[in-house]
Amino acid sequence: MLNGIGLGMLYFLLAVGLTIIFGLLQFVNFAHGAFYLLGAYLTYDFVERGMNFWLAMVLAAVIVAVVAGVVEAVLLRRIYKLPHTFHILVTVGIALFIQELVIILWGPLGGSVAAPSVLNGVVMVGDFIYPKYRLFMIGFTAVLAIGLYWALERTRLGAIVRAGSESSENMALLGYDTLRINTLVFAAGAGLAGLAGALVAPIRGVEPFMGIEALSIAFVVVVIGGMGSYVGALVAGILVGVVQSLMATIWPEGARLMIYLGMAAVIVLLPRGLYGRA
Amino acid sequence: MNRRSFLSSTAGAGALLATPALIRAAYAADLLKVGIPVPISGANAANGKYASMGALLAAEEAAAKYGRAVQTFDLDTEGKPATAVRKVQDAIDRDQIKLFAGGILSSESLAMGKECEKGGANFITTAGADEITGTDCNKATFRWSVPTFGAINQSIRPIIDALPNAKRWYTITPQYVFGEGLLKAAQDVLTEKGLDLVGNSYHSLTEKEFSGYLTNAMAERPDVLLILNFGAQCADTLRQAVSFGMKERMTIVVAWASGLEQFEALGADLCEGIYFGAQYWHTVDAAQNAELVKLTQAKYGITPNYSLAGSYICTKLMIDAAQTAGSDDPAAVRAALEGLAYQGLTGDETIRAADHQVMKNYYLLKARAKADMADKDDYAEIISSGQSFLSAEEAGCKLG
Repeated sequence: MLNGIGLGMLYFLLAVGLTIIFGLLQFVNFAHGAFYLLGAYLTYDFVERGMNFWLAMVLAAVIVAVVAGVVEAVLLRRIYKLPHTFHILVTVGIALFIQELVIILWGPLGGSVAAPSVLNGVVMVGDFIYPKYRLFMIGFTAVLAIGLYWALERTRLGAIVRAGSESSENMALLGYDTLRINTLVFAAGAGLAGLAGALVAPIRGVEPFMGIEALSIAFVVVVIGGMGSYVGALVAGILVGVVQSLMATIWPEGARLMIYLGMAAVIVLLPRGLYGRA
Repeated sequence: MNRRSFLSSTAGAGALLATPALIRAAYAADLLKVGIPVPISGANAANGKYASMGALLAAEEAAAKYGRAVQTFDLDTEGKPATAVRKVQDAIDRDQIKLFAGGILSSESLAMGKECEKGGANFITTAGADEITGTDCNKATFRWSVPTFGAINQSIRPIIDALPNAKRWYTITPQYVFGEGLLKAAQDVLTEKGLDLVGNSYHSLTEKEFSGYLTNAMAERPDVLLILNFGAQCADTLRQAVSFGMKERMTIVVAWASGLEQFEALGADLCEGIYFGAQYWHTVDAAQNAELVKLTQAKYGITPNYSLAGSYICTKLMIDAAQTAGSDDPAAVRAALEGLAYQGLTGDETIRAADHQVMKNYYLLKARAKADMADKDDYAEIISSGQSFLSAEEAGCKLG
């Protein structure tokens, strides 16, 4: 069960940026996996150069956020008004560009990122064995989830962002720069993807196609939780993680299949997802 | 300019302009084409990338040696049998390619071998499933790598001998023909030796998260964790197994490593003490291998890994056979390959005519500590090597 929760928190981390961007901007970002990929590779690169892991992680997330902010300001803000198919087309293009760039810069081979030494090894309590780093990740993601929820629901900035998603015209009339708010939201969502990549790197290493897998899981979580729902992403992430982990025990070969079956069932029974907007 | 001089000038200019086309036509007629169907995208893209480099090396070497044009054509299979078959079909029909060297995964290789037979082409692969030169063998398909039967026998028997107290084994297996082949061979050896296979976890070919399977394995308290998957999945399994502290609690064996590239991706610290079965290792004492190491370092500035070496030797075998046959006619090339004895990357190698399987060594490596590495590629030492093959009859091969 703990393994499932750990996996679920990881999936939440993958999905949260995607759901925030969709919820607040109504924008389908297929480049989300590529930002995750970039975050992982930047961390890998920094650590390889001898940088402290924690600094590398923060720096990678910030760089990804800045890159995403520039992409939004230069390109994406021009297509917000277009149908979702255009969003998909452009962001898939961005994703492929980033993926190829990663291959050019770091080569086709993957690499490993050492966890910080304080988190090396396992925790043992009787028969219970669990990697310290995964325990840290559960705790870190839980704190991050609470912090994000607080920021979105309880702060003035969060209120502005939420209001902007409801009516950008009214916000503009009130004197707020909605273009800047959109850029900020997009950069923050992508930065979270970059942070997820950085955090996951010590567990799964890095390889140039990791973004595609992350994107598919992120979409499963977002669809099950409800497009744009923050709480939905958290609940669905944990749900998917626990189901996958339990299935690995009961029916290992079907563990991954069950994730997609679960998503199909939710689409059929609850088309808006568990916490989707009406 | 009078009419005569105009006509002669025009004719001369026309002939001059036509000459490159004539040269091109003559060149094209002599051009030897080899299709390289390997995954250049997807989970095994790194293997495909190196395979492409190895094939190119063989083509350039042959062109220089034989004084003829040899060209390789990369066909991205994406690691998917359906895509692989479509690419091979197109290459045969549209590009008139009759010789193919490639296939990283067994599933795609089985499918491509059948397609080559149907399309009147020849195919040589490094994929491992026993069926390729066993029950699903065909006259068009050759295989350089030792199949799963030999890989298991050469990788786990020495460990069983070295670790008499290791009674409990646990396997992690990808659920497709390659994994099933490794698992079956492992079950047979363990049963013969009176050891217990205390559990097995199957996983899909797209799996990235192995923590659930690893916790299942730990619950069974095995003495040996035998990893039967390949490439990126194998790296993921190992990385996560080490993070779960399994290296300190049991012996970890990878039955079919993808070689130097895997060590580079994982790093020496993570690999230290782990056993790896391998088709190829760059320090193997063989003249042809020394030549390949030299060639690879000269062209790419790297040491050859398994993907590069396997593709190099497969492409080289096809080209050399076409040269011996004096044509790229698949039947003639096939005849030149059958029964061929040659100096290979692992020493003396022979292509068994009965099932088109190359008889060659398989290696068991043990990863060194970083401090013990003599150079940046000295990740492991060869613990043992040898050959284990079923006969063509035992493997179930009946070539038509």
